[in-house]
Amino acid sequence: MAAFDEQVANTATKSGAEDLRDPAYLKIRDVIYQISGIYQPEEKLYLLASRCARRMSAVHAKSPSEYLDHLTILANRDTELRLLLNEITIGETYMFRSPPQLDALRNVILPQLIEAKSAMGFKRLRLWSAGCSTGEEPYTLAMFLLEESAHLLAGWTFDILATDLNDNSLAAARAGIYREYALRSTSEQLRKKYFRPHDEERLQVTDQIKSLIRFDRVNLNDDGKMTFLKGIDLIFCCNVLIYFDLSSKRKVVQHFYSNLLPGGYLFLGHAESLYQVDDRFQLVHFPGAIGYWKAPVVYRGDGKP
Amino acid sequence: MNSSKLEQIRPKIEALEAIPTIPAVVLPLTSMLQSAPDQVNIERIVELASYDGTIAAQCIRMANSPLFGRRNTETVRSAILALGLKRVEAILLGCCLNQIVPSDKWVFDAVTFWRHSLGCALVSRRMAKLIGYPDPEKAYLAGLVHDLGILVNTIACPGDFLQAIRTARAEFLALHRSEERNLGFTHCQSGKILAERWSFSADLIEAIEFHHDVGQLASRPLASLIHISDLLCRLRDLGYGYYEAMGVHLAGDAAWAALANQYPELAKTDLARLTMDIDGAMDEITAIVDAVFKPQQPSTEQ
Repeated sequence: MAAFDEQVANTATKSGAEDLRDPAYLKIRDVIYQISGIYQPEEKLYLLASRCARRMSAVHAKSPSEYLDHLTILANRDTELRLLLNEITIGETYMFRSPPQLDALRNVILPQLIEAKSAMGFKRLRLWSAGCSTGEEPYTLAMFLLEESAHLLAGWTFDILATDLNDNSLAAARAGIYREYALRSTSEQLRKKYFRPHDEERLQVTDQIKSLIRFDRVNLNDDGKMTFLKGIDLIFCCNVLIYFDLSSKRKVVQHFYSNLLPGGYLFLGHAESLYQVDDRFQLVHFPGAIGYWKAPVVYRGDGKP
Repeated sequence: MNSSKLEQIRPKIEALEAIPTIPAVVLPLTSMLQSAPDQVNIERIVELASYDGTIAAQCIRMANSPLFGRRNTETVRSAILALGLKRVEAILLGCCLNQIVPSDKWVFDAVTFWRHSLGCALVSRRMAKLIGYPDPEKAYLAGLVHDLGILVNTIACPGDFLQAIRTARAEFLALHRSEERNLGFTHCQSGKILAERWSFSADLIEAIEFHHDVGQLASRPLASLIHISDLLCRLRDLGYGYYEAMGVHLAGDAAWAALANQYPELAKTDLARLTMDIDGAMDEITAIVDAVFKPQQPSTEQ
């Protein structure tokens, strides 16, 4: 717990395979955080080290500090950072990946939204999976909402917009065919209800689920298209902004802020942070999850919001 | 708030002082916990750690665990050096306070309770350093003892307290809200009575009494620190062991404003990063708590 508890009397190493005491790993961690917003606590540096190891051998870097040069000084630094981020976020996509996020939706956010929107006579929710990749996230949200439509969301309608830049990913998302890996956290009950067998190894989502989702190709850097999207209640943008430079990241997050209705939330990947990217969203903690909230403007009568 | 109910149990709480060994070890420990690490007398810690054979054995076992590099530690002294003084102090205080509740009397899971207390201690010290609060070690100690009242409620009114826990668990409620309903008072108030009897310092008593009372936090930086750390812990799986339905906008919290007023560095704190650091600290917190509360279990770590 070196970062956390500075009175460490010893240096604990997790695996011994990497020399984690090499301060270059901390610098690499900080570079990644500064540029992408992805953070690794010091106790989990062994994970980062193993991701770096693959890239280090690819670029023939002999030490972490030599590899740090590839990320900071050398001409290939943008490409290399992108490749390292691919390593860091690889294989993370599967359905129901973040139960704490869904718990927060069920127990805190939906009751909040339902109360506020019912008061205005609305019974419709709009969700957006921005950077939906191969579709695991929007399908998870669709199943979650359908399950809640028997309770919390009785009488409500909802639609889910799922966008990505990559045509191949979008095609896979539209097809909705998944292997065991993507389904490892999906209960037997939900599999039966919302999937049908595709072949011996794969399941396909049912048309009922698909009908809730509109897939579209959207470049988050495309101001025209981004300005057009309005009236969203919840945006999910997981491990997408990490590939943007600071100024485009700021621009995208500003767009998200306008896309959202007051009272809406933006969710990012679990290790992502908006620190110093944006100061309009309010960081809100839920048990095990962090959301960024667009606070409704409250007029106090003194002319200040 | 039903203060007459609190007055009814006051004699019971004050009688707790009669339980042997607690004040004898707790008092020197609490004063030591507030010293800077370089001022702590290691011989005194060795002496305190050796007073109970089980605790001494735990320190040695922990020093030999994989988390600390699997040394061949055989003496209490070398175990303490391997673990670090601050960690040993936490283990000792945990053991001593834990002994005021007989093991079959816990209505609250002891491991969960100490995970929360130790988590809060670490987060408080971390935040204290981040914002320039002058006494990080006091923040650490305050975190360790802030929920003393939970031990008090366990002993003084176990039946009602169990009901309070059940209600909280069933309704995803904060524990102190459920205590108000089921007991008529909270662990903050019962903890304060014991802390006064044990002659804790005034700001420690305030941290115990006011850490859930945002209306009282202005110009009480230690209680504000504990309020925020307690929330962060409950939000990162270091809480009371059940789901609490909450969405907390910390930077909009009264404690945050009270603290930021005095310590402007707080406004610059990267909260997302602090939160992820708490997650990273989980392994060590678990190891320390296991050292205190799972004495008979062989290590299963690889």
